[in-house]
Amino acid sequence: MTKYLLAWVAVATAYAQLGPAPGKAKPPRSAKEAAPVDFTGYWVSVVTEDWRWRMVTPAKGDFASIPLTAEGRKVGNAWDPAKDEAAGEQCRSYGAPALMRIPGRVHITWADDNTLQIDADQGTQTRLLHFGGKPTPGAAPTWQGYSVAQWEPPVRGVQSPQQGLGATREGARGRSLEVVTTQIRPGYLRKNGPPYSGNTVLKEFFDLSVERNGDPWFVVTTIVEDPQNLTEPFVTSTNFKKQKDASGFSPTACSSR
Amino acid sequence: MSKLTVLVLSAALWGVPAFAQVDFSGEWAPLYHENGPERLPGPELGDYTELPINDAARLRADSWDADRISVVEQYQCRPHGSDYALRGLGNMRVTRDIDPATQRLMAFHTHMLAWDSDRTIYMDGRAHPPEYANHTWQGFSTAVWEGNMLTVTTTHLKENYIRRNGVPRSDQATSTEHWMRHGDYLTVVTVIDDPVFLTEPLVRSDNWYLDPGQHIGIFGCEHAPELPKPEGVVPNHLPGTNPFLREVSEWYGLPYEATRGGAETLYPEYRQKLSGYKAPPKCDRYCTCTTLFDCQLR
Amino acid sequence: MSMKRLLIAMLVWGTYACAQVQTQDAVHVFPVQGNVSMIVGPGGNTTVQVGKEGIVVVDTQTAAAASQVMAAIRTLSDRPIIWMINTSMDADHMGGNEALIRLGGSTDASERARVITHENVLNRLVAPGIAQARVADAASINDTYFRSPKDFLFNGEAVMVYHMPAAHTDGDSIVLFRRSDVISSGDIFTPDRYPVIDVQNGGSVQGLLDGLNKILEMAVAGKYQEGGTFVIPGRGRLCDEADVVEFRDMVTIIRDRVQDMLKKGMTLEQVKAAKPSRDYDTQYKGSPDVFVESIYKSLAARKP
Repeated sequence: MTKYLLAWVAVATAYAQLGPAPGKAKPPRSAKEAAPVDFTGYWVSVVTEDWRWRMVTPAKGDFASIPLTAEGRKVGNAWDPAKDEAAGEQCRSYGAPALMRIPGRVHITWADDNTLQIDADQGTQTRLLHFGGKPTPGAAPTWQGYSVAQWEPPVRGVQSPQQGLGATREGARGRSLEVVTTQIRPGYLRKNGPPYSGNTVLKEFFDLSVERNGDPWFVVTTIVEDPQNLTEPFVTSTNFKKQKDASGFSPTACSSR
Repeated sequence: MSKLTVLVLSAALWGVPAFAQVDFSGEWAPLYHENGPERLPGPELGDYTELPINDAARLRADSWDADRISVVEQYQCRPHGSDYALRGLGNMRVTRDIDPATQRLMAFHTHMLAWDSDRTIYMDGRAHPPEYANHTWQGFSTAVWEGNMLTVTTTHLKENYIRRNGVPRSDQATSTEHWMRHGDYLTVVTVIDDPVFLTEPLVRSDNWYLDPGQHIGIFGCEHAPELPKPEGVVPNHLPGTNPFLREVSEWYGLPYEATRGGAETLYPEYRQKLSGYKAPPKCDRYCTCTTLFDCQLR
Repeated sequence: MSMKRLLIAMLVWGTYACAQVQTQDAVHVFPVQGNVSMIVGPGGNTTVQVGKEGIVVVDTQTAAAASQVMAAIRTLSDRPIIWMINTSMDADHMGGNEALIRLGGSTDASERARVITHENVLNRLVAPGIAQARVADAASINDTYFRSPKDFLFNGEAVMVYHMPAAHTDGDSIVLFRRSDVISSGDIFTPDRYPVIDVQNGGSVQGLLDGLNKILEMAVAGKYQEGGTFVIPGRGRLCDEADVVEFRDMVTIIRDRVQDMLKKGMTLEQVKAAKPSRDYDTQYKGSPDVFVESIYKSLAARKP
């Protein structure tokens, strides 16, 4: 009996080390098929942080918690909502770096098998997260920019992953959505004018959890990189709770005030 | 067991995949890009915004007198609970225990600067202590992996606070954390379920960055009588007598009702009740505030 | 539903219900520190100190729980019970005295366990009109004290019994196990419920606060206000100094509010209607009205 057991173990081990058999390759799965978690549905922003900078428009010059450069502070202190209205720039505080921070609701769907769509009721903004996409060089910037998405790969070091002798990398199965957005029109990190430039790179990580009472939530960690206006990357994390339906989803136009 | 058996089984085990896990070990520095003034110099008295508290929590907080921290000697060296520590002052070191025989992860340990707080997060599936066991500031924590996210459950917490201006967190609360590492950034979502003081779970998230060069020193604390006081005095405001509760409303132009917190105030539709709000003409209180050193009152 | 299904349902429900009852009445042993353990049972907490010389038992719960409590003690030691201390006259603190002496005391009649209470306990138990059920409790007492502390050395440590006047009752004791660094507080401290201030049996809110403050004076916390001296409450979880502080603060703050209302001339009914404990009612078990009333009555009874 022991001999048969040993033989089985030896064969199984050798087979596992070989990896997939050669032959006809399977077509790659779409982002939707490969999704480790499901972000679709209606979600409401629950404002348990930065309440007085998000639920209301803070006072001019109130930039608490934002690591602004002197230049950023100067631009922020020149904020003039009337001027923005006159210029048709009411949506300056609804750009991608700030959108998820606005108290409101989002509706997440698959626009196609490789594009996740986020519709925000505040500012009636739409974000398209392109899996496998590439921004077109020289394209005109937009409030939401161009977003490249992927399901975050497993944790790895700075070099290409090497199996090494005796170590494996089966673990750390990612379930985060990683998004990098560029080509963003200059805008405001908050309603009262702290700026970000057109060279901003926005990185986001979306993570899903289900709490003890059964409520699904997601947190989006937002990293805004803009050396012109920020002394360091500006990092916030915003929490959304899932809703059963579209209740409360209330499309509202942009406002400068 | 023969040598051949051992060799073959060892080869098989060598190929067994590790558990889904991420290494959170390292020196982590907090980022104060959210709620800087509340977390650094401290919350304003009477500011209960963004908290889903009930009337009991409100009255407790209204009754709280900051003098208690110095007059009642036993409060002087009282640490933050493990749930609040992730929001408060102080850097963090995370280490892990690997069982030398099985190479399995047995526990994470966190060390926080503030009050030299040490916590063990058990990964070995052990049960939590019985309800009659003693409670501690750090509580008793166990965790499981959900893909690359670590979900930590903490019970047996001593009574503490969800904001250090008197808003309490009871010893009946359970804290759930979700730890997510993305490169050199760590995001920790903390969910507090407190049947005594909250009408729904309080979900907050804080961010850290990896700072290998950081060195956490010793915090140290010695308690001593600081003020002569009659025996047994516990500073508190009688109901309806706290003179400071309207300050935050006046300073920031917020409706007083909004500063009282409550679940209703957390949701976007509450903004309709704020339509009469008019911001002060300009900021004159904590207008910067991203680190301890740039957080000036004016 | 067929008879067969009904019987099965009853069997299942009965099994579940029995399991629940067993769980609620179960007795648990919880080692605390040094020679001292806590036994958690349906009648509250029993403190046990064990060693070569024998066993000290503080509070014996009810007669009904005695065999379970004794079985729990036997997991710690097979020595005889030599000392027994009752922290108050409450039936669920001394109801098991006689049974535990019978089950666990020395077989040598000359070594009958010394049962210690403050003399006010015995005085109240032998007063005219006392319930028949309490006669056996009174008979079990053979060692009263009036000057505090009563102390003895046992199992290598000082055991010190302190009288807390006019607290939960006028016969309360707390027990310090000095080397083990454990205090058994009786019902002066009940971390998960409002304290009972038995005004009829000599209790008062000021006495209760004095007792809590005495515990705080005796306890020494470990680093950052944790551990160090452990406190075994009359009922509820194992605690340390910080937990006693929270409880003391609660009693003090509610007392302050009731006192303020009394000064304003409010009647008892008006004070109760004002709900001065409403921010603690969601946290502490027990009747807020009974607690508030006991505070009001003991404050009103104080001489100006």
